[in-house]
Amino acid sequence: MELTIFNILLDFAIAFVVGFCWAILFGTSRKVLYVAGLLGGMGHALRFVLIQLDCGLIFATLAASILIGLVGIFAAHRVNQPPVVFTMPACITMIPGMYAYRTMIAGIKSTDYDFVLSNPTVLPEMVHNFMLTISLLFTLAIGISIGVLLFRKESSRHISIKEMTK
Amino acid sequence: MSQNNKITIPAQRVANLVLDMATYLLASGAHCGRVNRNINRMANVWDFDVHLQLTFKGVLTTVKDRHNLTNVVTRYKEAPTHSIHLNIISEISALSWRVHDDMLSFAEVEKQYAQIKEIKPYSTLIVTFAVSLSCAGLCLFASGDYLNALVAFAGAFLGYSARTFLAKRSFNAMIYIGVAAFVTTLITSIGAKLGIGVNPEAAIATAVLYLIPGVPLINSVIDLIEGYLTSSMNRIVFSGFTLLCIAAGMTLCITFFGIDHF
Repeated sequence: MELTIFNILLDFAIAFVVGFCWAILFGTSRKVLYVAGLLGGMGHALRFVLIQLDCGLIFATLAASILIGLVGIFAAHRVNQPPVVFTMPACITMIPGMYAYRTMIAGIKSTDYDFVLSNPTVLPEMVHNFMLTISLLFTLAIGISIGVLLFRKESSRHISIKEMTK
Repeated sequence: MSQNNKITIPAQRVANLVLDMATYLLASGAHCGRVNRNINRMANVWDFDVHLQLTFKGVLTTVKDRHNLTNVVTRYKEAPTHSIHLNIISEISALSWRVHDDMLSFAEVEKQYAQIKEIKPYSTLIVTFAVSLSCAGLCLFASGDYLNALVAFAGAFLGYSARTFLAKRSFNAMIYIGVAAFVTTLITSIGAKLGIGVNPEAAIATAVLYLIPGVPLINSVIDLIEGYLTSSMNRIVFSGFTLLCIAAGMTLCITFFGIDHF
């Protein structure tokens, strides 16, 4: 895919739908469904741009999920809801489904001993996809809990930009 | 023994409310740090010390009156069946802030909490439609084309319908997750067999993603970061086993079609 304005907007639009719909599955309040969609679209668009600029998949996902986590905290102030109710569905837009699937397929294939002997690449393939899946899941969790990790505050209500820039 | 002529609230009553809220929060998908903060925010206003032991399956609590050493109780309650509903988390969080800011009385909180428990989740039809739409979106992200996305939509739709059908008849969660994964993969594999779209692999991989235990997976890491190790391990084991059930359902279907096609 090329890095054009249209592609970025398309990525944003799809991620908006995914985040919005996932928020419905998680039972987020009707009033803030759109926040989940916007955060998901914003995060995934950033990830798309970073991947196109060859920043690496894991770094791009980490940057996007941290952006979602930070913007989520400030969105939480505006709509008076805890940030997790929209950062969680927003981060799900970047869930590593494809890598998990490849891990599973390689796992099934490796149960056939003759197949493994004739195609030894199936084992490194499995390990590679497994490690990618785990790393990506972990970066998503870091993004969501960034508030707890960085600000050492009890609640997102006590986090303010003014204090940070002091 | 009451201070400032306030009527002493029996620790028993506080413990009941605390347990009810904590188990309900856990079942709705809150991480332990959040449960602890919300409960203590309210207990502070009523001058009670609350200590919680939170696990996946239940909550143990000790409630102590700060002004009356004999007004103390330790109780345990099992959590209801887990079903993710983040709106409950928002509402209980808002309630705890109202208690903190406006000093709501204990009886008032009991009343408002009863109202929160009345909140209904989204209707099954809306959720089924939303789930299918988001799986189709994820299929597009996994470099599938619009036809693949359509197959993923159909697979997720039927799979989620099967899941709710079995869940309503109170089957074991692992059974209906396996069956749902099987049904979804059946649809997407048929799509792959018929050669619909350029990248059928994308549809197979992404159509089952609605079954991923996203909230417990993420909460387990948050609990790990905040030091709630027992709960974190519980959640990791639960979500790992759920993932295993998805894989088992898919494997069954894939071997049925022959692994060489994948």
